[in-house]
Parts: sequence; C-alpha cells; structure tokens
Amino acid sequence: MANRTLALLLGTQFLLLTACHSSAPGPESDQKQLFVAFSQCNNAEPYRAAQNALMTELWAQYPDVKLVIADAGQDDNKQIAQVETFIREKPDLLIVAPNERAPLTAVMGQAVQSGIPVICLERDILEPNYTTYISADNRDIGRMAGQFIVDYLSKKYGRPQGNVVQIKGLLGVEAEIARNDGAHDVFARYPGIKIVNDAVADWIQAKAKDRMTEALRANPHIDVVYAHNDPMAIGAYLAAHDLGREKEMIFVGVDGLGGPNGGIKKVMDGILAATFVYPLCVDKAVEVGNRILRDRNFKPDKVYTLHSTMITQQNAAEAYGQFTFTN
Amino acid sequence: MKTRYSERPPLEAPGRLSTARSTGTDRAGAIRLLYRLQALVALLGIIVLAIILSPRAADGSNIFLEAGNLTDILRQVSVTGIIAVAMTFVILTAGIDLSVGSTLALGTSVVAIGLTRWSVPLGDVGRISLAIIAALAAGAAVGALNGAVVAGASIQPFVVTLATMIGVRGLAKWLTDNANIDIGFGQDVAAVFAAFISRKVVVIGSLLVMAAVFWLVLDVTVFGRYVRAVGDNERVARYTGLPIARVKIWVYTLSGLLSGLAGVIYAAENHQGNPNAGVAYELDAIAAVVIGGTSLMGGKGSVSGTVVGTLILGILTNVLRLNNVDSNVEMMVKAVIILLAVAVMSRRKSE
Repeated sequence: MANRTLALLLGTQFLLLTACHSSAPGPESDQKQLFVAFSQCNNAEPYRAAQNALMTELWAQYPDVKLVIADAGQDDNKQIAQVETFIREKPDLLIVAPNERAPLTAVMGQAVQSGIPVICLERDILEPNYTTYISADNRDIGRMAGQFIVDYLSKKYGRPQGNVVQIKGLLGVEAEIARNDGAHDVFARYPGIKIVNDAVADWIQAKAKDRMTEALRANPHIDVVYAHNDPMAIGAYLAAHDLGREKEMIFVGVDGLGGPNGGIKKVMDGILAATFVYPLCVDKAVEVGNRILRDRNFKPDKVYTLHSTMITQQNAAEAYGQFTFTN
Repeated sequence: MKTRYSERPPLEAPGRLSTARSTGTDRAGAIRLLYRLQALVALLGIIVLAIILSPRAADGSNIFLEAGNLTDILRQVSVTGIIAVAMTFVILTAGIDLSVGSTLALGTSVVAIGLTRWSVPLGDVGRISLAIIAALAAGAAVGALNGAVVAGASIQPFVVTLATMIGVRGLAKWLTDNANIDIGFGQDVAAVFAAFISRKVVVIGSLLVMAAVFWLVLDVTVFGRYVRAVGDNERVARYTGLPIARVKIWVYTLSGLLSGLAGVIYAAENHQGNPNAGVAYELDAIAAVVIGGTSLMGGKGSVSGTVVGTLILGILTNVLRLNNVDSNVEMMVKAVIILLAVAVMSRRKSE
C-alpha cells in the first residue's frame, strides 16, 4: 500500500514539475521583467483568436515584457478564478476581456483595489471597475452601414428606396442592439427604404443561410442584405447563390477580419459589397498599457472609443495586407 | 440499541471500511485508518509540491501560502465541494446523480427570479429568505423526483438522472426565457443578497458546515449506516429489512437540496441567475468524490475523503495557474491525476 501511494506521489510530482517548467520563462535577465496578464474570455472565437495573435505580436516588441494569456473557455467561474490568481501574482498590468458583465464586475474591482492597473477590453461590465475601458462604437458601425446602404440605393434607383433584409445576431448582446439601432437611425429618415424581413441567426453562418432562404421565398425582390456579422452575410450569399439570385442584391456584413477566411477577402472576391472592421481594440490597449507601465504619472482616459473603417472594393486589397497577421 | 444490531447478520465483510466499531478488529481498524490516511497523504504531498513550485512575490514571500491565495482556493472549490459532499451519499448507495449541474442552474434562476420579480410585502431579510428557500425547495423537489423514480421504477440512476439533467435544464431556461437575470451592485434587495452571500466567510463557511453535517450524519446516525449498507450489498440489505426506498429517496433529495444551495451561492458570487450555469459540474463533483477514495460500486467511502479530494483538485489547479500553465495543459494534468488516484485506490480493493 505504501508502494502505491509512493507511486501516486511520484507520478504527480513528475507531472507537475514537467507542466510547470515547460511553461516557465527562460533564464532570468538583469533588467526587471514587466508582467502583463491578459484574461481572455474565449479563445475559440475567431475574433478573439485574432485579438490574441495581435496582442502577442505587439507586446513582443518590448523585450522586458512577459505576456501571459489565460483562456476561460466562455466559463464565468473559470475566468473569475483566473483573474483572482493573476491578482495574487501582482502583475504590472492586467487586461481583461470579460465573458459576461455581471460575474466579472466584482473581481475586477478587487484587482483595482489591490493597486493593479486594469484595462477592460471591448466588452463592458456593470460598474466602472477598471483604470480604462477600450471599446468599439457599434452604433457608429450601424450608422455607417445604414449610410452605405442609403447611398447604394440612391445610386441604383435615383432616390433612396428599396427592400432590405436584415439578419441579426444574438439578441440582448450590446453589439447586436447597437448595430441594429445605428442603422435604424439612418433608415428612419427615408420612408422609401423598407425592411422586408428581420431574421435572427445568432451570429452563425448556417442559421443565416436557412433564414435567408425563407426570406428569398417570401420576397420576389430584394435589394440589400444587411447582416450584423460577416459569417451571417456569407451564409445569406450562399442561400441566394443556391437559388440563382445572388446578382439581384448586395450583401453587407460587419467584422472585417483579415486572413483567407475573413470578411475583407470576401469583399475582394466580390461576395460582400462592404464590411466594417470591428476593431480588435488591441493596438489601443497595448499603446495605453505600455504608457501605463512606463510612466507612473500617466492618467489614461476612462473610456477610449474606437471607430470602424469601411471596407469596399476600393480599399479591400490594401486593408487585407494591413489586417492580416501571422501567428 | 446495541441489542438490536447484534441480532442482525453482519453487513460488511472484514477488512472493508466499517463504521460499526463494535465489529472492528485491530487489523480492520488499522486498515481503515490507512485508507483514510491515503487520501490525506496525497493531499499533504500536493501541498508540499505547491509550496515548492510556487512563484515568489517581489518581497520574496511565497505566493501560494498567502492567506488571500489559500482562502481563494477554498472559495473556488466551495460550489462544487458542496455538490460533492451530497454526491458522496448518492455514490455510497451505488447510485449516481448527473442532474446536479442542471439543478444548480435551476437554483440560480429561482433565487434570481425571486429577488427581482416577486413583489412580496416583507423586509429585505424576509424577501431574501423567501427566495433562498424557494431555490432550495426547487432543488429538493428535483432530487425527490430522482429518488422516487430510482426507488419506485427500478430504473438505473444513471438513466434517471440523465433524463432529469436534460429536463431540468429545459425548465430553468423556460423559467428565465433563456436569458440571464443580472443582479446589480446597487441598494435593491437583490444587490444586498449578492453582497452578503458572496462574502468569502459565507461561501467557505457553507462548505464547511455542510461537510461537517454530512460527515456526522454518515458516521454517527443510523441513516448513515443504512446508506452504506444499501450500497455495499442491496440484496442483503433488503433481506435484513432496511427501508431501501426511503434511503434512496432521501439521498437524492439531499443531493438536489445541496445543488440548489450551490446555485444560491453561485447566483450571489456571479451576480446573476443563469440557466446555462453548472454545465459539467457533475463531473467535477464525481472526480472529487472518487479521488477521495469513495468507490463507484457503493458501500465504501467517506465525506472526509471527498473534502480531501476537493482540496486536492483545487490546490492542483491553483499551482498550475500560479505557474501560468496553459489551461488546456491544466485539463490534461487533472485527467492524469484522477486516473492515477483511482488506480492507486482500487488496487487496495484487491488486497
């Protein structure tokens, strides 16, 4: 029996030592290592994988900075525990992309109270428990999309009128509500523009294809499809293509990720007429974060709101180079 | 009392973990002690490793041993720990309860609905108590249903609780319209509830109290002995006239009740009622129970073992996170530890 317990202990010890040492940093350097901790809510989403890649690339410019990224796999409790443990390690900077607003509010407050500078990335929380909050303006994206659609229809018919199919993401998410309301701020001024179908596809391409098929059967004439993210816009295109009607309308999406699977490539290929880059917010986070690390007296703004760029055929090729990162 | 028991045939084979002290020989007693110690020795080993592998703070102090970090670990394991304590009883009867995660979700939803949507003419304390009692009652009801079907319809616990797992999840989603119910940080009754219940003292205290109560019930009461007997050898237990159906209904009801309690604590800590909470929590609970030395075959095990198993998993996770080990590697390490622990424990059985 003693042998078995000993075997268990030795096995555990071996495992832990291997695991811990394989992820430990290299030899210690003379200069003080700055520790930046990033709590990411879900590595599995393409938008967030892109955030991680850019975060790693930008921080690598500073050899005295050690970056650690923790993935919470969309689990609130896991993210709370990961942030708690980071607090114990006393990082020089803590960046959090909260999975949900309510659960992460208290623990980020703890971080602020223990004197750690906290950057809240892209999604907000219930209380301003951060040093600074960097986000993108979704309502502005909605307005830009709306304006693009109005301009397109004005050119097509000589005046702003036409049939629009809207495809929405998860209802109740701030980004969804804002992208919807922003477009409607614009559409409200033009009674000739009609939303003939309001479909919900939860950000997912396959669902959008099904919803679009239904919309195509119900409406003999569609001018524009405004999908609140690129995968849904692509799904809508595929549905129209199956019925041979893709030339009848244009497709507009949001996200504008680079790389061969992203929205920018789809604009280059002529599948999407336009997309709107949903900023990763990472370059601003690194810029502000780096200043916080180096300059003790620097007081960042409480909120930084980033604006989107519209991608159309004209600037797609250039944007593709700009927004595509290699790991 | 003693006379009654001596009339019954012995329920446990010699050498097995026995609470009937009157039947223990010196050898059985020593083996029982070693058994209990085995999990404890593993725990001490992991603690030593954690101290050695812990990074150091700027002033040289050991981060793992900081009071804040140690209480963090206890807080982090409390929710699944509470579920695991009740799961011990279920597994001791050679059963299993897969519905605990869904019942937790139901608990969070009911307490959040009670605090934010019911207008009751009571003070803050009254409204909070009512919401908590409603959540506990909901959990207990689910448990009682599980127990009744397992006992009455003679369907395997795995299948019954699998069905409840799905159905109760659906119920929680239906009650909340599949949306989360946020609990704010203001002055309303929901915020008062969250601020109070989420305190480390209350959370960790709940785990300790539940562990102590269940430990006592298992080791000291007649009911506790019945629980072991049913799992050890149900046929013999039936012949000796034990109230098997009642025992089973009770263990599942307790499991549901504690899952509801875990849900109340979850809602306070996360400041939200969440019908999608607790997915796969049953696996964490079962892992803790199993590492603590309880056998899935029933009859053999202890609440103290479960507590030790819970702590082992919690400290392990903490050590890996303090060393910034990738969370995917973390999962693989945990898997190997669980297998190692069970392999070691089950070797004992054949000796």
